[in-house]
Amino acid sequence: MAVAQASTFEETAPLPPVVRWASLRRLLRKKIAFVAIVYLVIFYGAGLLAPVIPGVDPYKQELTREAVSQGPSAEHWFGTDAFGRDLLSRVIYATRTTIIFTVAVVVTGGLFLGIGLGLLAGYRGGWVDTLIMRVGEVMGGLPTLIIILALTAAFRTRIDDFVFWLQDHTWMSRDDARLLVKFVIITGASVPFAWIGTSRIVRGQAFALRENEFVTAAEMMGASTTRIVTRHILPGVMPLVVVGLSGGMAAIAGTEVALSFLGLGIDPPTPSFGNLIADGAGVRAFAANPHILLATAIPLVLFSFAWNLLGDALVDIVEPRTRNR
Amino acid sequence: MASGLLGYTIRRLLWTIPVLLVISMFVFWILRLAPGDPVDVLLGQRYDDDVAARLRDKYGYDEPVHIQYFTYMTNLFQGDLGVSTRHTDFNVSEVIWPKIWVSTQLGFLALIIVFSVGIPVGIYAAMARGTFIDPLTISFWLFIDAIPSFVMIPILQYFLALKFSVVGLAWEGVWSTNAILPILIMSLPGVAGVARYMRASVILVMNEDYVRTARAKGLKETTVVMTHITRNALLPMITVIGLSLPGIVTGALFVETFFGIPGIARESLAAITGPDFDVLLALILFGSTLFVFANVAIDLIYAVVDPRIRVGASRGN
Amino acid sequence: MTNKTLTLLMGLVAFLILAVGVVFVIAIAAGGGDDDDTPAGDDQDDNDDRDSVGGICGGNTLITFGSDPASVLDPIQVRDEGTAEYIVEIFGGLVTLDLELNVVGDIAESWEVSPDGKTYTFKLRNNVVFHNGKRVTAQDFKYSFERAADPAENSPTVTLYLGLIEGVEDKYNGRADEVSGVEVVDERTLKITITQPADYFLAELTYPVAYVVDQEQIESNPRNWTRDPNGTGPFELRTFTPAEEIVLSRNERYHLGVAKLDEVVFELSGGSLSTRYENDELHVGVVPSTDIEAVEDGSSPLAKDYKPQPRMTVSYFAFNVDKEPFDDPKVRQAMAMAIDRETINEVLLFETQRVADGILPPEMPGYDESVSSYEFDAAKAKTTLAESRYANSMPRIILTYAGTGGDAPNVLQAVADMWQQNLGIDVELQASEYSAYLRELRQGTLQMYSAGWAADYPDPEDFLDKLFHSESAQNEQGYSDPEVDRLLEEARSESDFEKRRALYKQVEQKILDEAIIIPDFWPVEHLLVKPCVQNWPTLSMSVPKYRYLEIDASKAD
Repeated sequence: MAVAQASTFEETAPLPPVVRWASLRRLLRKKIAFVAIVYLVIFYGAGLLAPVIPGVDPYKQELTREAVSQGPSAEHWFGTDAFGRDLLSRVIYATRTTIIFTVAVVVTGGLFLGIGLGLLAGYRGGWVDTLIMRVGEVMGGLPTLIIILALTAAFRTRIDDFVFWLQDHTWMSRDDARLLVKFVIITGASVPFAWIGTSRIVRGQAFALRENEFVTAAEMMGASTTRIVTRHILPGVMPLVVVGLSGGMAAIAGTEVALSFLGLGIDPPTPSFGNLIADGAGVRAFAANPHILLATAIPLVLFSFAWNLLGDALVDIVEPRTRNR
Repeated sequence: MASGLLGYTIRRLLWTIPVLLVISMFVFWILRLAPGDPVDVLLGQRYDDDVAARLRDKYGYDEPVHIQYFTYMTNLFQGDLGVSTRHTDFNVSEVIWPKIWVSTQLGFLALIIVFSVGIPVGIYAAMARGTFIDPLTISFWLFIDAIPSFVMIPILQYFLALKFSVVGLAWEGVWSTNAILPILIMSLPGVAGVARYMRASVILVMNEDYVRTARAKGLKETTVVMTHITRNALLPMITVIGLSLPGIVTGALFVETFFGIPGIARESLAAITGPDFDVLLALILFGSTLFVFANVAIDLIYAVVDPRIRVGASRGN
Repeated sequence: MTNKTLTLLMGLVAFLILAVGVVFVIAIAAGGGDDDDTPAGDDQDDNDDRDSVGGICGGNTLITFGSDPASVLDPIQVRDEGTAEYIVEIFGGLVTLDLELNVVGDIAESWEVSPDGKTYTFKLRNNVVFHNGKRVTAQDFKYSFERAADPAENSPTVTLYLGLIEGVEDKYNGRADEVSGVEVVDERTLKITITQPADYFLAELTYPVAYVVDQEQIESNPRNWTRDPNGTGPFELRTFTPAEEIVLSRNERYHLGVAKLDEVVFELSGGSLSTRYENDELHVGVVPSTDIEAVEDGSSPLAKDYKPQPRMTVSYFAFNVDKEPFDDPKVRQAMAMAIDRETINEVLLFETQRVADGILPPEMPGYDESVSSYEFDAAKAKTTLAESRYANSMPRIILTYAGTGGDAPNVLQAVADMWQQNLGIDVELQASEYSAYLRELRQGTLQMYSAGWAADYPDPEDFLDKLFHSESAQNEQGYSDPEVDRLLEEARSESDFEKRRALYKQVEQKILDEAIIIPDFWPVEHLLVKPCVQNWPTLSMSVPKYRYLEIDASKAD
């Protein structure tokens, strides 16, 4: 159920422009937020360090009756899947998939395009604003799923060639190259839709801020546009973007997970939370081997939960009037 | 003021036309970018070049894309959405309207639950501000929100349908006991958003002068909460409800696939993998139109709330 | 502070009341909403049947599951098993298959074959009527055959299954206005001439494209007649709601014995089949693969309902023999020897399939046990690969699959791992959209792919000739061998079954030895059928079966 999660702060502009290190300390003082951050550090750490953690091999199959679909044990902490592969290893590599995907989308779509275009629209106004917002509407009106499917189908042979080229000419292994290209597709198809949300927030704030006395004053003193934007508008807008992104992180990661779950995202055997969960999701599959669903879903649920909590805590900090005491 | 708003509204509405045109062109082109078409699937392993050529002629797939698009749009404006190739030769409108209707009813019921749970939870959390109950309540719903529906559904189906046989999994229409579980699953994740919004709204109102006055007058706390705080805090919720409305017709993909509900989301997925060009186009255009108009509504609401946003007038220079 | 506590409590109470209230309202609405004009309004009385005393076995309506038809319910348009399941119940032809897959008369009472094997004279029954009561005559058949061959009708199967009839090709290619090989002798006699003697011709006539349709109905409603088709089968189509359900009701005047069931409901919607089966929402369900062993060894309570249906289907890996490295038979053979199908079946598939020791499934007439595919032998696979000219320069291999027809992705993952372990060959698995897969298959651009083939009629010709003759449209491996072509052509006109069988055996073994394809499994459908449903047959193909079934409430448990 996609109820518009209109953020509390959108209507309560303008904001205290500067939220800096003090906020981070305040954030860490909140117990819930602290726990969330600790979990995220573990999650990201595991993903980034996956190739160097000893004993982690997400692909090693052991097709014997004794080894497949086993519950958690000392040898396999999360149990094994239907191929006898170690689920913990697969989960660790799945976090890697999630990390690469979210970072790619956030950096390119959320930050780069979102802030840039939002600022441009908000600060310049006029036809620039209209154009950017309408383009955003076109993008936002399109279903990500279909675009990804069509792109993959249309360019598959070229994608393959590119993967092989990468594999032969760079340091990348087969998996890395394949993952990278798959990411480029999914990310490429998601980014056009990811920036519009951020842009809206930024644009609204930029509108509000540029009417502020300090911006007007700076303009009167002959400050350049770049200076006004970087010195006055951007700092005022950043907290909101951070809040918006951390609140939306679960949703961004969810796009890839849902696609892979449907078999339209990352192809097996490369692990992604989507295809891992798909192996255990189903009434019967759950009844027979609950560990396959639980061991793969819980880390993902906690990931989304942690980002939700963090986003919630950040809203409190940015919007002090609703803050917890 | 009024005429400015009217002008803005008209301009905004006029803009939807080119936006929708561009969307339709883009989708049309993207769909035909893939190497296969519905005729490939229609004939499957029995493919015959002559038959295929005649079928492509029948459905018009042998024309250049821009001609196909032009034909499609011409028919669209005459109310003809084309024919489905997956449900062979059913009209698109025969295929999609019953499904939109099913999804809409489900979405509407779910929306009612979202708000009737979310609003009290929000008030409750705001009242409990400062105690551990506030973060606990909100965290609980944020946790629910973090569970993907394709994880929640098999677990609930296992306990409720298989183990204890409380509900059935056959589809017997929206108004049957079997629909309760899908509706609940559709509504649970939305509660957190509404509750958070409501909580913030209540807290803002609590600091208003009239609430303080009411308290100072020694009115009972319950009276203050019910009459002063809740009533005023509910006003901004109207916006949220309004913005949620377009969401109810688009359907919940995983709920519809896991429960086998003949709704719009399941049909869309089938139309993608089908592929079923005309059905897919109709569904996308339907969704995009709703989305675009919802955007107009959002902008209009903001324009009323904060007139500075109603730009158009460029920066004065 | 007491005030605050009070508020908290009140809030809690309010929340609970609301939550309970909402659930309550929905439950009420659910109970009282049955007479609402919901979109599924038509099936309300069926629902009542299900809820009535006696549970699912109380009524006389069979509730089973089905899939959305992949084409209109027009016999000449059908090309997949799922849709054929409905077509064979609604329509009928000259001949049909009985439950043992023998060709028996349907509308034809008897037939005679001329000594040269080229002319078939069918005598029609005189009590056969369409659903609307109109009598079926030889003229109706002539119309139906000519309609099937009409190029404007775009039948994808007519040349494949009726191409033997004289004049079908001509009409289909626009060279003739009628089909010269179909001749009406009198109202009850139909003469069909074929271009060469062929033993399997009668079997081909059981395929839907040869069924009879009602000229009057089609001409009066050319666009929508399939919504309420006027056939001659044991059931009529009562309702068809796409993605929801198909309801067939009994034809009271069926000439081969009226069905005992009132109706058959195919549900196209709803959740987990096995769960619905256990909840008594369906008469027919499928065994969840994880429970299959308990069901087979009898330790599960479902064991008594178990009705395995070995299908006349084979799944296989196919090589494009024109592409590197598969133009070298050694590579293909090595790959065939490197996969351990037994282990995959045992560990991954819970013994739900049968390892395909050949191409023709055991249900196929002419199946020969002595035909064999390569056994798993890792060491021999390695030495074979070493002998190939690609031993040290293996090109990249991409295996494409579409998730329809071939193996499930999990089997592919296990197989790819075996190739990696046993041969050191990396095979990339590539999921493809179905339409793109089909197109590339046809254009021959796929290097290696996973596919499946299901029997259209029980004759080896349908598998071997259709898949491996160099001129067959279904030969997508690029395989062309004059020797195989010659044997296949010889088998076509051979009238001695044992001799045909020997010819096909020769072809099959040759293809397996050259590893043109690697057959891996003969699938089995694991059905559960409620004990109150009597006479459920074991079938490997879609043949009319619902008229034999009966629901006996006393056998419910």
